[in-house]
Amino acid sequence: MAYVSMGEAHRRITEYLNRFCDAVSYQDSSTLCRLLSFSSNSPPLLSLADALNVFQDSSSLIRQSDRFSEYGEILAHVFRSLQSYRVGNLVEAYLAFEKFANAFVQEFRNWESAWALEALYVVCYEIRVLAEKADKDLTSNGKSPEKLKAAGSLLMKVFGVLAGKGPKRVGALYVTCQLFKTYFKLGTVNLCRSVIRSIETARIFDFEEFPRRDKVTYMYYTGRLEVFNENFPAADTKLSYALQNCNPKRERNIRMILKYLVPVKLSLGIIPKDELLRNYNLHEYTKIVQALRKGDLRLLRHALQEHEDRFLRSGVYLVLEKLELQVYQRLMKKIYINQKLSDPARAHQLKLEGIAKALRWLDMDMDLDEVECIMTILIYKNLVKGYLAHKSKVVVLSKQDPFPKLNGKPVSS
Amino acid sequence: MAAEPKAAVEVVKVDLFEDDDEFEEFEISEDSLEKEEVKEVSQQWEDDWDDDDVNDDFSRQLRKELENGSEKK
Repeated sequence: MAYVSMGEAHRRITEYLNRFCDAVSYQDSSTLCRLLSFSSNSPPLLSLADALNVFQDSSSLIRQSDRFSEYGEILAHVFRSLQSYRVGNLVEAYLAFEKFANAFVQEFRNWESAWALEALYVVCYEIRVLAEKADKDLTSNGKSPEKLKAAGSLLMKVFGVLAGKGPKRVGALYVTCQLFKTYFKLGTVNLCRSVIRSIETARIFDFEEFPRRDKVTYMYYTGRLEVFNENFPAADTKLSYALQNCNPKRERNIRMILKYLVPVKLSLGIIPKDELLRNYNLHEYTKIVQALRKGDLRLLRHALQEHEDRFLRSGVYLVLEKLELQVYQRLMKKIYINQKLSDPARAHQLKLEGIAKALRWLDMDMDLDEVECIMTILIYKNLVKGYLAHKSKVVVLSKQDPFPKLNGKPVSS
Repeated sequence: MAAEPKAAVEVVKVDLFEDDDEFEEFEISEDSLEKEEVKEVSQQWEDDWDDDDVNDDFSRQLRKELENGSEKK
């Protein structure tokens, strides 16, 4: 921490106070944003923090002027939070910021126009980020982390303030996305349901009115929820929206969307081109796509094992594992094509023995009963059209379209 | 989603539910962008990949296996 003289400290604090009050008087939202973005670690804020730690009695400065004392409560909390933040006391920084945020939201409510909406966004962002830092601190000290959960409650409160008929309502989607990030981090994704319901069914909201960046983020998170719930067509719609509307320069975000969209597309029988996987460094899906193209069950198995941890963490493991049936379908088709070439007259009759031989080659030892079982499942799920001639141990394929394409529909569960 | 299914302690829970894929914040100014670039990304899917071509290595090896009646390698 740099050395600051009392005089200099006094000057810096007064400057901030003036800037803050000017910003409010002249409805200058962008200045207000800069004054509140603690996590940006901007030089002016850091030097203010140093000044506060030297001066110590900033409340006396606030009291000195009517102009400043009008926002006395808010400013006292801001200063306390910034001071604590600077010396690494993150729990205290969070608590003070929370008090500030509550007071700020009260003022915001009273301002008729939506001029301070962007500043409110900054407050929402900062409260979440500070809460995360505070929780990390608590955890590392063996204490129970509960600040992020508290931040979530505050964000819900802000949502409530914005969920009205006036111009402030376009801010609701930003707050929703902060809530999503909070709930996803906490693992309490079920709590997303109530905000989603509000956004999608409340009459005051028109989804198209929201800023595009918020719509993209919203579709990304709700798309991920659809993946968890295995609603693949809905997941496809939402994640594709996010992909198509995302700023193309934001490659990390695009990669995240694709990380969930690729398994969804695969479940619908659609394959990403190699170029796409390469461009966005999605190499974990390369072998899976190859396995599907070839009908190579052994490769699928290896691919799932190789990146098991990664797939488990992102929650797509089960989605990818279920691709096995589609890989089986592809393999059966290859066996059928082979037979058409070597024995066209009996092409539509696949011997279970032949299938077992192919599976053994792929390191899957199965007796004929097990093979029959798999074929039954494939037929039941409409991946194979035909029937089992049990006595002759043969699958009789339909002459027309024996291996129906998924055509954008997931395999029936 | 997590490798460890049962988290008895709150402390451990925080690590387990770290969301690796938190979307990065967009700036407000990012809303105006060219549609052209974005279209390129969405034209990277194939839905007609399921062809009858059996000239790849895998298919040829499969054919050999089925015709030879050989034991598992």
